[in-house]
Amino acid sequence: MTGSRIRKLKLKSTSERAFTIAAYIIMTALALICIFPCLHVFSKSISGGNLVATGQIYFTPKAIQFETMEYILEKTEFFNCLKNTLIVTVLGTAISMFTTITTAYPLSKPKMPGRKLFVMLYVISMVFFGGIVPAYMVVNTLGILDTYWAIILPFAIVQFNMFVMKSYFEGLPESIEEAAQIDGASDVQTLVRIVIPMSKPVIATVSLLYAVNYWNNYFHAMMYTNSSSMRTLQVYLYDIINNGQAFLESLYSGSLGTNLGNSMVNITTDGMVAAAVTLSIIPIIAVYPFVQRYLIKGITLGSVKG
Amino acid sequence: MRKKREEAMKMGRKLSAKQQIVHFIKYFKAHPFLYLMLIPGFFFLFIYKFWPLYGLEMAFKDYNIFAGANPMDSIAASDWVGLKWFERLFSSSQFPVVLRNTLVINSLKILFLFPIPIIAAILLNEINSHLYKKTLTTAIYIPYFFSWVVIYGIFYSLLGSYGVVNTILSSLGLSRVQFFTDQSVFRGVLIFTEGWKEIGYNTIIYLAAITTIDSTLYEAARIDGASKIQQVWHITLPGLLPTIVLMLILKVGYILDTGFEQVLIFYNPAVYDVADIIQTYVYRIGLGQANFSLATALGLFNSVVAFILVVSANTVSKKLLGRSIW
Repeated sequence: MTGSRIRKLKLKSTSERAFTIAAYIIMTALALICIFPCLHVFSKSISGGNLVATGQIYFTPKAIQFETMEYILEKTEFFNCLKNTLIVTVLGTAISMFTTITTAYPLSKPKMPGRKLFVMLYVISMVFFGGIVPAYMVVNTLGILDTYWAIILPFAIVQFNMFVMKSYFEGLPESIEEAAQIDGASDVQTLVRIVIPMSKPVIATVSLLYAVNYWNNYFHAMMYTNSSSMRTLQVYLYDIINNGQAFLESLYSGSLGTNLGNSMVNITTDGMVAAAVTLSIIPIIAVYPFVQRYLIKGITLGSVKG
Repeated sequence: MRKKREEAMKMGRKLSAKQQIVHFIKYFKAHPFLYLMLIPGFFFLFIYKFWPLYGLEMAFKDYNIFAGANPMDSIAASDWVGLKWFERLFSSSQFPVVLRNTLVINSLKILFLFPIPIIAAILLNEINSHLYKKTLTTAIYIPYFFSWVVIYGIFYSLLGSYGVVNTILSSLGLSRVQFFTDQSVFRGVLIFTEGWKEIGYNTIIYLAAITTIDSTLYEAARIDGASKIQQVWHITLPGLLPTIVLMLILKVGYILDTGFEQVLIFYNPAVYDVADIIQTYVYRIGLGQANFSLATALGLFNSVVAFILVVSANTVSKKLLGRSIW
């Protein structure tokens, strides 16, 4: 192993070495372009107000303070909106996984009569979209505007995810299922006791795809809810970015300002935006290392389907 | 007998209608749960995907939301107006603007962003250290999981009037740029942030495709004295070609369907002229100004053209690559 590696290194010509060095430089630069903006926002969220307001914060925090963070957490709706997002994500992912598995499993049976028609319905719904106005009218008619259900409904079954699941099921060895059925297991029992345990990786991957969809979605929450208590994290964040100034003015003019006294200096519009963004990224960054391999699998699963 | 039938089915449905029904009943009796399981999925599919298709009728009616017992009921109760909304739409001054913006923004995104992940994947494949490669992959992939609002917040911080980019510009003696309100740079902001979010994801797709290329080809090429560039040109790129073509077909096929949430979050009235795309316009006239029928007409136009594009893309994909895109 090491021997062959050494030989390879020795064989490397100057042009190859130049190519490798270029690869290191360019890819490192690309990675830094992805990381620096995050570092910048993080630094801004905990740096002194004067420095933030005058644009003196680059990629490291200066005059560290946590008042802006505290302010976002304590004096704004952050926790309520986080709660809404968590409910939508957990409940939504559970519903979506249920519908996705129960749809993908029958459709993965090659001999099932009617299968082609059912698959066709899902394909049609994928390529032809009724539009946002009719969709809004449907949600309105169902009487679920301004509820969690309105935010969950659009992703209750995502066709692409269903097809990823279906093609995974199709790849499972048929013999095990057949043996179970000969032993008298029903289709439901086969699914629950045999197919699902064999499909843990794809279930993890598809759950994550759904969870990311629910967590990140702004448009449905914005369109289908209007009361401020129903805002999700994304809607809240958008409001802070666009109305940060108004937030801050209400803070200064209200009695709140006098109570906070000197520490007010540290709370700036830009700092607030940065703190809110940082707080909403933290959950993703925290979970990401543990789920990365499933997410990468999701891409490759998705791209080899067909 | 059974074998014969299966063979017939494989050959392309040579079964008569009666035989098919008998076959179906037999299968249904043996596997009732398989059909019952489909119900939850179909329930949501019909409610949110098919019911709105019926709502497209609004495009040919003078929709009055109070005409019926509920908004969907009102559709049936409203008066037919033929192609009135389409005539108004195609003669409006706004229509060519949003159509042009949609095509220009998404074409520029393809033009500038499409090649980057291919190059990135080839370069990433050259990184020998496994740990460093993984670190780089993580770094470029993570923005894909940020929502558009988060990305808006991040770039608002970077590019705002007093953001770090403007601080640097002014310290260099250059004038500050209003990235979010200047019509000449706003499309650039859209393209850059799109790339920032998506490049990692696409790079991983190409990286996965590179690993399927037969490594003996490289050994042989090296023995023949091929340079690194020659290897990339004659082995890696041809090996990636099916993936490249598929990705390009997908991008072009979905040219009318992409970018909605991004533009909706990033844009503002100052840049409507260069950034307002079909779907954001539909949203504004429909749900903002309650001009439901006109918005539905434009939405329908968009859906029909998008449908034609996607189906054509699929046909091209089948012809060129022998695989369907769904």
